[in-house]
Amino acid sequence: MGLFGFGEKESIADLISGLSSSGITVLSLKSLDFIVPGGWNNYTNFDEMLRALTRETDDAFLQSVKKRAIDLYNDKSQGYQTAMKIYSRVDTADKALGAAALTDKLSEKISLLSFMKYLTPKADTAQAIDLVLKMISELLAFTKINGIPGDSFTDFLAALKDYSGESKIRMAALLCFDGLIPLGPDFVRRGMDILGGLRPSELSKNKTFSAISEYIPGANADSKLSFIRTGFDAVKDWMSGFISQNNLSANKVVSNLKQYVDVSDDKLDYLAAFVDVFTNYFEHTGTQTLAVRLIERAVNEV
Amino acid sequence: MTNFRGKWFVIVLAVLFALSACGKSEESQQPGPAAGGEFNKFFPKSADGFDVVFTQEKAGMAQAKLKKEGKDAAMLTIADLTGNPDAAGKFKGSTAAIAGYPAADSGSMGTAVLVADRFQVQVRSTDSSFTENDRRLWLERFDFNGLAKLK
Repeated sequence: MGLFGFGEKESIADLISGLSSSGITVLSLKSLDFIVPGGWNNYTNFDEMLRALTRETDDAFLQSVKKRAIDLYNDKSQGYQTAMKIYSRVDTADKALGAAALTDKLSEKISLLSFMKYLTPKADTAQAIDLVLKMISELLAFTKINGIPGDSFTDFLAALKDYSGESKIRMAALLCFDGLIPLGPDFVRRGMDILGGLRPSELSKNKTFSAISEYIPGANADSKLSFIRTGFDAVKDWMSGFISQNNLSANKVVSNLKQYVDVSDDKLDYLAAFVDVFTNYFEHTGTQTLAVRLIERAVNEV
Repeated sequence: MTNFRGKWFVIVLAVLFALSACGKSEESQQPGPAAGGEFNKFFPKSADGFDVVFTQEKAGMAQAKLKKEGKDAAMLTIADLTGNPDAAGKFKGSTAAIAGYPAADSGSMGTAVLVADRFQVQVRSTDSSFTENDRRLWLERFDFNGLAKLK
């Protein structure tokens, strides 16, 4: 139960309180802090978030903002719950195994070797599909949160360039953990190539696609694939630009991850599988993005 | 006498008819909150080195950021209070006005105006350099009169 009451199950306040303040997801994200120096606060308390974002101190005022934010999230027609489902579903494959294997391992630096038996690196095609679908999920969640049509590629691209805080760190993690590390420095081109040769029937068999398919515009796998290709093509220059502007390389990212995971440089595919299985960075930061947008809106409506 | 009664009967019928017509017209004028996209044209344009960048647009709400040199300075919001009437309470005790419309503080960082007893227009500082005077100045740049005519 939070400071201002309102302890309903699965309210946006509860979802924030349910986020971890430590663990592999948080450590992985913190290893990317150099991209957004000090820009990401790992909020795990809604009331604290409310005070920080609104810069208000009056409890009665904050309580009214909190109530409004909770009401807006609970109103299904507003689209925030759909965005939450997208962030969550794209990030849930194979997580149960990861959580079970990690018990009692967090107090010490983790050796990747001891986890190898749990990990199966993805083939390039499956990895590229994951990268692409996470990017498309970001587009879809963005349109649901901001209330604009699903195919608003131009609006999305403009917003991406303006991303900050938890949204920017999510994109950094996507490009590093699902692009750069498993697919190498030319991951954007490889993603485009694999996507170009992909058949709708192959896409349909992909687990991540099945999880979010209902939210992708298009009547069948063929038209959904066409939407995915257009969407990924729209952001390819932004992705390449993000890598070059932040001077990102697999070496740089891995050397930061090595602060808590022991890994040799010839096992990058296992490192990517490790991050995939043991983190839920998309859902974690996606929940924070939703709370930020809800608070920004609610404080202006009370 | 009969004529007098007849006249009253006609008048009563006319009043009943008018009342029932009023009821119908009230129903038809309350289709729920206005679409957020309807509000965009009432927002101020970019000026004085500030950019107005639209962010959220939902049923009953539109929101934009006010940015200067890429940094956030304030949020601009128009919200339909149809589904959130409590928000109008703060205007009841206020004698302040901006451009002729009732105005009130919203917390310590926001200044709000009530238009047509239905729409709240708020400017909220997100950077401490954006003062209360700045908020009033930007509120005056909204098209309140146009918004007031929105059905």
